[in-house]
Amino acid sequence: MIMILSILCHWLIVLLLAPFFIGVIAKVKAFFSGKVGPSVFQPFFDLIKLFNKGAVYSKTTTWIFRAAPMVLLASVLILSLEIPLGVFKAPVQFSGDIFFLAYLLALARFFMIAAALDTGFSMEGMGASREAFFSCLSELALFMNFITLALLAHSLSLSHMIGADIPMSWSHVGPALLLIVASFFIVLLTENYRIPIDDPDTHLELTMIHEVMVLDHSGVDLAYVSYASAIKFLIFSGILVPIIIPFRTGDLVMDMLIFLGGMLGLAVCVGIVESSMARLRLNRVRNFLLIAFALAFFGFIVTMWRG
Amino acid sequence: MNKTLEFLWHVPFGDFSLRLDPLSVLFLTAIFILVLCAGIYGVGYMRSYQGGKSLGLHIFFYILLALALIVVVTANNVILFLGAWEVLAISVYFLIVFQDEKPSVRRAAFLYLIAAHCGTFCLFLMFFLMAHAAGSMNFDVMAQTNFSPVIAGTIFFLALLGFGVKAGIFPMHIWLPYAHPAAPSHVSALLSGVAIKTGIYGICRILWIIGVLPDWCGYVLLILGIVSGVMGVLYALGQHELKKLLAYHSIENIGIIVLGLGIGLLGRNHQMPFLAVLGFGGALLHVFNHSVFKGLLFLGAGAVIQKTHTGEMDHLGGLAKTMPLVSGLFLIGALAICGLPLLNGFISEFIIFFGLFHGLLGLPLQGAVLCALGILSLALMGALALACFTKVYGTVFLGEPRRPTLPTEMPIKTSPWMIVPMVILAGLCLWVGLNPQPMAGLALGGGKYLIHAAPLSVIDLSEIFIPLSVVVSCTFILILLMAFLAVARWALLRSRPRPISETWNCGFSHVTPRFQYTSSSFARPITDFVKALLLLNRHGGKVSGEFPGKMQISSSVHDASEERMFRPVFLGLTRFSKKLEETRIRYTQIYLMYIFFFLIFLLAWKLK
Repeated sequence: MIMILSILCHWLIVLLLAPFFIGVIAKVKAFFSGKVGPSVFQPFFDLIKLFNKGAVYSKTTTWIFRAAPMVLLASVLILSLEIPLGVFKAPVQFSGDIFFLAYLLALARFFMIAAALDTGFSMEGMGASREAFFSCLSELALFMNFITLALLAHSLSLSHMIGADIPMSWSHVGPALLLIVASFFIVLLTENYRIPIDDPDTHLELTMIHEVMVLDHSGVDLAYVSYASAIKFLIFSGILVPIIIPFRTGDLVMDMLIFLGGMLGLAVCVGIVESSMARLRLNRVRNFLLIAFALAFFGFIVTMWRG
Repeated sequence: MNKTLEFLWHVPFGDFSLRLDPLSVLFLTAIFILVLCAGIYGVGYMRSYQGGKSLGLHIFFYILLALALIVVVTANNVILFLGAWEVLAISVYFLIVFQDEKPSVRRAAFLYLIAAHCGTFCLFLMFFLMAHAAGSMNFDVMAQTNFSPVIAGTIFFLALLGFGVKAGIFPMHIWLPYAHPAAPSHVSALLSGVAIKTGIYGICRILWIIGVLPDWCGYVLLILGIVSGVMGVLYALGQHELKKLLAYHSIENIGIIVLGLGIGLLGRNHQMPFLAVLGFGGALLHVFNHSVFKGLLFLGAGAVIQKTHTGEMDHLGGLAKTMPLVSGLFLIGALAICGLPLLNGFISEFIIFFGLFHGLLGLPLQGAVLCALGILSLALMGALALACFTKVYGTVFLGEPRRPTLPTEMPIKTSPWMIVPMVILAGLCLWVGLNPQPMAGLALGGGKYLIHAAPLSVIDLSEIFIPLSVVVSCTFILILLMAFLAVARWALLRSRPRPISETWNCGFSHVTPRFQYTSSSFARPITDFVKALLLLNRHGGKVSGEFPGKMQISSSVHDASEERMFRPVFLGLTRFSKKLEETRIRYTQIYLMYIFFFLIFLLAWKLK
């Protein structure tokens, strides 16, 4: 019973927080381009609007197209249970939950790619093809980071690995952590389709990855997809922030505030990156992702070398 | 659980004895399930050949193959094993060569026959060494023998060659991508599902017989697994023929299994029983899982080919609308082979991942580094398999047909004989995925057996079973959540307009199904990235002139191991034997003289 309650509470927090950070990124981008920008709560309004709309379906599509957004949202919601949110411990933690995390992401990806191909048009196919390729490389970097973190924390559970309870000491494993943070930040940008990998604001053919894959989704389906993207961002920053923050005060309110501050800071960082960088050329993206892998790999070497 | 069945009848050099132990039980389970399912399927599938060809021979060899498979995994005697092994090879040959009017089929079957016998040659040497060292032809007596490290290493090496050819371990796999597509689909399912697993069984049996193997053996297995897995899936991505692609995926999955065995062996050598059980158990579970989902996929491919008369993916499309049941079942197989949660593939990959991470944390440096490499390659295999099966599923079943149906190609309704076995296999995929305890218990028991743990010795398996049970409960929450979201979507959309229209095509007019991404273009970013490994050939596609006319582009992937390794060697051999032919002597008398001298030599040797 307590388990169910804690799961529901966790979901409530995730559902309330996730779109907010997307709003923050948009606000930062607006600030840098000299605009006032929409309110940080705009993603909520967008979602409400989408939930209240009908949906158009192509006659080419099958049930896969309709099922994909549900699989996506359900998967990321399950994933969010593995992520500690400040003082709220992850309701689901077990040895090996990192594989479950990676493979649930893959499950969602399978259905989104299939849904894109289901529309039977080259634009969606293009996005799907790129998504399949880039995810291979980002998965490599992700697992390389997991390996190093597992070595550092001597555990296979995500909460321990990212030091959610006992923070990792930067003074002791600083170099490795720095490399991990840098590499994981790139993974975060990739998995959330942000600049410089993908442009979340357009679906021009040069940037055709995520936005073009969901080109044909509308109404509730699109709302599910957007919500899932927001939650995915929360998940990835929820993994990165505890690694970065080197101390826990022990005071619940204080810790929670620090965590939220960290999340906010990360969103601002992403916003700054988006405003200050151009999107990479497509054939450069793979090099960028290989850099993420290389960074993670050096982190591994440093860790092994130090024993 | 060790049962030996002795017959009064003797084979030369030993008893006709069959033996049932946890290892053979696991393989037998897979064999029984798949032989039965593929057999039922064959009843429906072979109907289209009725009248034209005698099916009696086919059925005879099918039953012979089933019997040979059973004897191979239960034989307790070298001679019996080799006899069954040979019967297996021959019956597979006759099953592959069913459509013998096609030259490509004859060639594929012949290639298989050569490969099988090259493998058997190594096995003869290996068993000779073993029997010589042990002084007995029975496996359970051999298992009591202490082999010297050099002998053990040699035996292991020969086993890798001999059984590796059968299992299709890279780079000894070259017969496999030809043989699988050439055979009728239910035979391909049986080949990929269980026949190549006899190679894995052989390696497992050697690991069991030789309790102490040199350290390098574990590393070799691990590296072979990594290479086989990654190369298998990369080649699979480059294919555009459905069954050939599935065949390359068998190489990948054999790689995963060998990777697991490598981890197990490392654990056994370093006195880490838990790690050994994880590695061996994960590998054995993957043996079972792979035979189930790969069987399902081949049967599904057979249904597609029977209906459309082609396995060329770039000609297909939109089959989900015309064959919804088959497409749903194929989807289950595709999700399972990608190792995604809900289905059985995830469970075995989870156990192997778990083992690799345990090795990473517990093994000495070189072992830990190899484990890290294993983790990375397993993750990469997962991501590439996902790319590959979204490609298959997306191009074959989704979208629009890429080619209009010709009037000569009468669509055949998929018979219930073909549907039922696929439903059984898909059900097994789900059953193991949602209730992994029984099968995982069986496989991990096999793992325990392989490290020679006494039945009562305590290896605490709760460390793996607790995560598995959490995974399962999470999976059930996932299903509930999906159901909830589906209901919510239905409730929200119920009273709102849901017009059906065209796909939004960004303002293009005259959009035809030929606009769709093909399987080759879908895989192109990845195949381009590794084109040096794949020996990728692409012709045409260059646009020139102001008003370019019709263009053609063709691309093909060539197997590096075939082109760079085996072809030069065999060409060299052919040239060498041609040379020998030129130098031969054409007089009978001289040959008679040779024989005479040889007899004198033998006589002298005997008298010495």
